[in-house]
Amino acid sequence: MSWFTFSWQNFLFSFLALAFEGLPFVLVGSLVSGAIAAFVPSRIITGVLPKNGFLATLASGLLGLCFPVCECGIVPVVRRLINKGLPLSCGITFMLASPIVNPIVAFSTFAAFRSQAPWLNLGIRLGFGYLVAVLAGLAVRHLSPKEILREGAVKIVSRKRLAFQISPLPDATSSDLESSFTQKLVAAVRMTCDDFIDTAIYFMMGAAVAATFNTAVDQQIILPLALDPILSTIAMMAIAMVLTLCSTSDAFIAATFVSFPLFSRMAFMVFGPMFDLKLFFLYSVLFKKRFVVCLGIGLFIGIGIISSRFLNLLYASQGP
Amino acid sequence: MRAKDHDTPRSRRPTRGLASLLNGLTLVGIGIVLLDFFFTGRVDQYLHPQFRPFTLVAGIIFCVIGVVYGAAKPSARCCLDGECVHENATNPLRSVIAILVLFAPLVAGVALSKDSYDQRAVLNRGFVQDITKLPMRANTVETGAQSSQATSSEAVSEPLPQDTPIGSATNDSANPAAPDSGDGSAQYLPKAPDGNVALEVTDLLYAEQEESLRKIVDGKTIEVVGQYLPAEDAKQFKLVRMFIVCCAADARPVALPVEAAEQIHAPEMGWIKVTGKATFTQSEDRTHVVMKADKIESVEPPAEAMLY
Repeated sequence: MSWFTFSWQNFLFSFLALAFEGLPFVLVGSLVSGAIAAFVPSRIITGVLPKNGFLATLASGLLGLCFPVCECGIVPVVRRLINKGLPLSCGITFMLASPIVNPIVAFSTFAAFRSQAPWLNLGIRLGFGYLVAVLAGLAVRHLSPKEILREGAVKIVSRKRLAFQISPLPDATSSDLESSFTQKLVAAVRMTCDDFIDTAIYFMMGAAVAATFNTAVDQQIILPLALDPILSTIAMMAIAMVLTLCSTSDAFIAATFVSFPLFSRMAFMVFGPMFDLKLFFLYSVLFKKRFVVCLGIGLFIGIGIISSRFLNLLYASQGP
Repeated sequence: MRAKDHDTPRSRRPTRGLASLLNGLTLVGIGIVLLDFFFTGRVDQYLHPQFRPFTLVAGIIFCVIGVVYGAAKPSARCCLDGECVHENATNPLRSVIAILVLFAPLVAGVALSKDSYDQRAVLNRGFVQDITKLPMRANTVETGAQSSQATSSEAVSEPLPQDTPIGSATNDSANPAAPDSGDGSAQYLPKAPDGNVALEVTDLLYAEQEESLRKIVDGKTIEVVGQYLPAEDAKQFKLVRMFIVCCAADARPVALPVEAAEQIHAPEMGWIKVTGKATFTQSEDRTHVVMKADKIESVEPPAEAMLY
């Protein structure tokens, strides 16, 4: 059998399933984004974070604990928060960490691995996800926002603000304060809709690509790689990228790849929520293509090395 | 607050209004598609039950915000000064792209989708023939035996007791069809109207792991519903059910090997009911089940085509 056998029937079934599952969550993210834009002053966004950029990046990785947004809905929220004055490094840390470091994912991971050292795997997933997100955020601090952000995706009012100093945008003018609740609500709805359209266009393109790979590629060709630590890690991250699973349920899938070692399954559960085919397109709403590609490569290499080198040893020290 | 585009020339206002209208219609259209899928029940073929309510809620919200967006004055502000990220929000071209990328594929998919996979997807994903390779939730296999009653119009057997002990100690899957003792437990097995035991594909694969369940089904006539997947040998085939965690995109084919006395004539991936006996053979590493079919007949797809 050929490694690639496309069928419209399979493509449409998988594509619609991804769309029906993901669009409500993109909508939720857009609703949150619209509400933030209309009702939350910039000073609140920036006021909750430490003034020190390094500490702020560390804190941003934990925002998902009280503000859980899955990867489908995170992009419009992050774009809005950056517009509200959140430093770019904090935004990227939040974007990468939130789909993993949140209570829903913690619960599902524990449940999925309840017969396979659940506390250990839960701790490693959250800790590993947080670490990678913070490292990515810190790495971005040394880059120019112009090199990263797509033109027009964010209104760059102050280079300093985006250059990782925490300073809120000028808040609403006096006439803002006089706006009625209804006016603000209508504005929130309009911003929600525009955010949704911006984001969902990319989401649908990602779903189409994912559905093609998901149904047309013979996934059995990857399974023989399970025996090698490095190849198994690469294979699991490749599977995560292709399957484009929701982070709230991917642990249930990961737990079933029992022929693969735990550290490579952990790579699956950390890399997948941070970067997959769908997210490649979604991130393009906010970032330049070149940065998105670099981010994907960086995450792939970083997570791959940590998993196959360090987690490998950690799991080995825990015994069989 | 100043509107973002107070200075927009009058000549651009009609296109701005057109863009708003098109965007609003796109959102309402998406909402209608979601609601249609929910109320016609087609969503059941695509999503795990936990995700289905989101379709309903999202459908309603899409309709509401689409109407508000389309009806609100185009001159109403989009974003606050200095924060607007929708540079092309009033561009009709963007609205047309939104229709083509968001709405048109959904409508085309809804119109053309057969709500199932064909044989190629199953082969590409590979079979699961070992129940321990499936994601195990507390209700995973519970739904197996019970759903044959809940979804098949023919099955009328009593529901399994909720406090039936969980079966396996080697893995923590729960299967009410696998009581902890053999004697007398068979009364809890779901029955079809003709008295046969009605099981799911997953139940028989579970029996590979569970000796008490093997004893219960041993010698009994069993009915199993699934999709027909032919093998090279014309008298052998696989009975397939798709197992999902959240949506059909993550479906994994679960396959039960079946042997028939005669050559089978059924459409590929068509729904069939196999009546026969389960036989278990021991190999070096584990027990394998094979269904020996006495009777094979085409049936309507069950209301819940997916197992979860």
